[in-house]
Amino acid sequence: MARIRFDGVSKRYGDVIAVRALNLDIHDREFVVLLGPSGCGKSTTLNMIAGLEEASEGELWFDDEVVNHIPPHHRDVAMVFQSYALYPHKTVYENIAFGLRMRRIAPAEVDRRVQDAAKKLEIANLLRRRPSQLSGGQRQRVALGRAMVRQPAVFLMDEPLSNLDAALRISMRAEIKHLHEEMRTTFVYVTHDQAEALTLADRIVVMRDGLIQQVGTPDEVYEHPSNMFVASFLGSPPINYLEGAIEDGASAPVFRRGSLRIGLPAGKLRDVSAAPVVLGIRPEDVMRDCPAGGPVLTGVVDSVLPVGSDRFLGLKVEGCDVFVRVDKETRHAQGERVNFGLLPERLHLFDKVSGGSVFGGAA
Amino acid sequence: MTASASLAHRLTRTQRLSYDERRAYLFLIPLAAVLMGVAVFPVLYSFYISLYSLKLTRPQRVPFVWFDNYIAVLSDPQFWSAVERTVIFSVIAVAAILILALFVALFLNEEFWGRRVLSALLLIPWAIPYVANALMWKWIYDSNYGALNGVLYQLDFINTYMVWLGDSDKTLALIANAFVWKEVPLAAILLLVGLKTIPADLYAAAKVDGANIVKRFFHVTLPALAPSFALVLIYETMMAIRHFDLFFILTEGGPGDASHVVAWRIYVETFRNLSFGTGAAMSYILALATLALSYFVIRALAQRVAT
Amino acid sequence: MIATPVRPRRLWSQRLGRTLVLWSASLAFLVYVLAPVAWLFSSSFQTEREIVSKPPHWIPHQPTLQNFAAIFAAKDRSVTYETRRAADPATGGYIPSTAASLVPAIGNSLIVACAVVVLNLLVGVPAAYAMAKIQFRGRPVSIYAILATRVIPDIALVVPFFLFIRNLGLLDSLWSLIITYLAVTVPFSVFILVSYFESLPDELDKAARVDGCSRLQTLTRVYLPLSLPSVVAVMLFAFLASWNEFLLALMFTQTPKSQTLPIIVASFTSDFTISFSFINAAGVIAVIPPVILAVAFERYIVSGLTTGAVKG
Repeated sequence: MARIRFDGVSKRYGDVIAVRALNLDIHDREFVVLLGPSGCGKSTTLNMIAGLEEASEGELWFDDEVVNHIPPHHRDVAMVFQSYALYPHKTVYENIAFGLRMRRIAPAEVDRRVQDAAKKLEIANLLRRRPSQLSGGQRQRVALGRAMVRQPAVFLMDEPLSNLDAALRISMRAEIKHLHEEMRTTFVYVTHDQAEALTLADRIVVMRDGLIQQVGTPDEVYEHPSNMFVASFLGSPPINYLEGAIEDGASAPVFRRGSLRIGLPAGKLRDVSAAPVVLGIRPEDVMRDCPAGGPVLTGVVDSVLPVGSDRFLGLKVEGCDVFVRVDKETRHAQGERVNFGLLPERLHLFDKVSGGSVFGGAA
Repeated sequence: MTASASLAHRLTRTQRLSYDERRAYLFLIPLAAVLMGVAVFPVLYSFYISLYSLKLTRPQRVPFVWFDNYIAVLSDPQFWSAVERTVIFSVIAVAAILILALFVALFLNEEFWGRRVLSALLLIPWAIPYVANALMWKWIYDSNYGALNGVLYQLDFINTYMVWLGDSDKTLALIANAFVWKEVPLAAILLLVGLKTIPADLYAAAKVDGANIVKRFFHVTLPALAPSFALVLIYETMMAIRHFDLFFILTEGGPGDASHVVAWRIYVETFRNLSFGTGAAMSYILALATLALSYFVIRALAQRVAT
Repeated sequence: MIATPVRPRRLWSQRLGRTLVLWSASLAFLVYVLAPVAWLFSSSFQTEREIVSKPPHWIPHQPTLQNFAAIFAAKDRSVTYETRRAADPATGGYIPSTAASLVPAIGNSLIVACAVVVLNLLVGVPAAYAMAKIQFRGRPVSIYAILATRVIPDIALVVPFFLFIRNLGLLDSLWSLIITYLAVTVPFSVFILVSYFESLPDELDKAARVDGCSRLQTLTRVYLPLSLPSVVAVMLFAFLASWNEFLLALMFTQTPKSQTLPIIVASFTSDFTISFSFINAAGVIAVIPPVILAVAFERYIVSGLTTGAVKG
């Protein structure tokens, strides 16, 4: 059983607060991704699970035990680091076996596990080599192997794929996913790459400046972001924002910016007020055809951006830059006036001042 | 979490050092103990002694005299003569060290066959004990059979053997020479390291700008070398001011008091005159002077290591 | 240095000029560094009769090992100032009674130096690891504090320490030397080690701790094996400093029981009835071990001094 619970945990370094009043419940066997920009506290949180850092306040629970003061070598966690942190003076075999030896596992068992892991990771032929003789991808596998053989209750990974090239990164993601399914232990993974988070996670924890912004499945955080930060952090290219105001319309509230009017679904808004709002439209949520009576986005083509598999149009809408995704075959000319249909359920609306979701966010 | 549990937890948390901190202090205790006992305590005890008139010639009476010892020392003209000699010695020595070390460093910075061998040989003066250095030079300076006399005689610079160490005009310079010979290697290595950290790009840019060797030296090398220079200057000055061994073996402060420097004076006062109180006061004055100087060295060194 | 030639002739003359400068510099360098030592060695192989020649024999005409033999076997021969003046040393060198303590003094120096090296490592390595890799209250100040202990001149330490040791009855014991030398050498050792540890990646530390190492095990199984160059440098510096030290030994030792080599050798130089060639031979013996160590391990010594600089 490896359930992790943060109860009001804070971490302070002198005057700097890295993590504030964190409350998080990680379920057994879950794959949780801590996602956020540099300095948001995700690595600090991971280090606290490992025991490399001690919480300044609050309690950290592993199952039914408070583990704040338990040093890392007494916890049943394994960790993979961004720079792999392989021991340069040991062979690959010894690198992988080291954790087992430190825990006094019998040599025969150690050998069995190491050989097993090496075979699975396809590095069996490298066991006699030193880390300096390996490529980045190979070192990555050794780091994985070192953590795997420990068969820990919790598997921690701190941006393990950041130092790999793009193609390798994609294939390694799949391997890590397989690993999780096979090992059936709790995984806590830190990254700043939102695509990685969406691919791997059972649940994503979006963090910023030491605070949790939202916790949810990939679908939840993507489709129903709770604030502007989460909405803009997930999704590539990022969500488009249009500032404006809400007006009462005939049957439902209407978003208005200049001459642009977009009807919103009735009954979904929490409260209709005169406060300034920001409308969020994801590039892929536009349609070629405009259903009758439905909301329409009108703009002038400013730029055309082909990106191989897709094609994006940069539009100028009431003075704002809006990027939309279109068919590869679609052709438009610069300066051309275009209309795109919008699906009301896919629109996001945020309070401009607080950034919180007013419509379309998490319930 | 209940209120009482949270209170209890908060109490234990503040009292308890983290595992890491406990380990850190554990690792540091032997070092702290040694330094406290052998470095810090003597310094404090020394100050304590300097406030008493403690003479081992008269051990039964040890009156507390406040700062009388300090006043006695500072108003003693002999003390100030010793200071003057110390300054002369240090200035000669440090100047010579800096110049020679600079030449050696520039020389060893060039790429040429045999450089590794010469670099290794450079360590010889540094490695030999001060005592051996002293007796070596004492033999070289010997009035009757010394090598210095021999060389000058053979080269026809002099007609008869001269007195060297016994000549009070020459004493300080000769001792300085022995000191310099032994200190140049370390100074040269420190300067050499400074030279090696100068990026080659600076020289390339200067060359493109049309600077010749001399200009490059003055406009690229010397400025970049300034920090190393400062470090060597301060360190060697510290060493020169407090140096004792050569004065003990070569001249014992003589002839007369030609080489009676502060370090020697402290030794005489404490172990020959057996006046521990004034000896302590004198050494404290020397220590404070060194402390002021070395504040800069410590800062430079620690900045390289500090978090 | 690659010359950028405008005409081939200038290149040739530039290279010739450079070679000449380097050769003469090398020669000057060698003479400056080696000549005094060479003279010391040469003198030690000369007989008493030969050593008093005017002008001196730079290379012994009749090289002899009798001076060295005399050191290891206390033979008594007498040469007084008068016979030497007459350039007619009767039977060779006068060996003072203290000569018999030369070999034990070597033993003392060796014991002290080795003990200091071992203690330096035992005390310095964990402390350096803590300062380099563990966050604790007071860490930024600690390196300053440690280096600051070396600011006080040894002379200033001597007075209180002499009294203190005398009251403890530890005068004339090797332990007084070992402890003081330890205090005097350990700050620099810690400085070298901390510089080196800091250059090793932090994540190795984290990986080891997660792998199951306590802090001590992280030090011994991961950091120490990777720090061998700096450990060797520390050992060398501590050994050389202890072997060469004079002032503190002068203060704390009184009989051959605890006197170290520098003290015995120094005692010869103040007695002008002693044979010069004997003194020089004693000097040679004092010189050889540290020089061999320094030259053989030159690489480590230089890197030990420069780890801080490279980092800066």
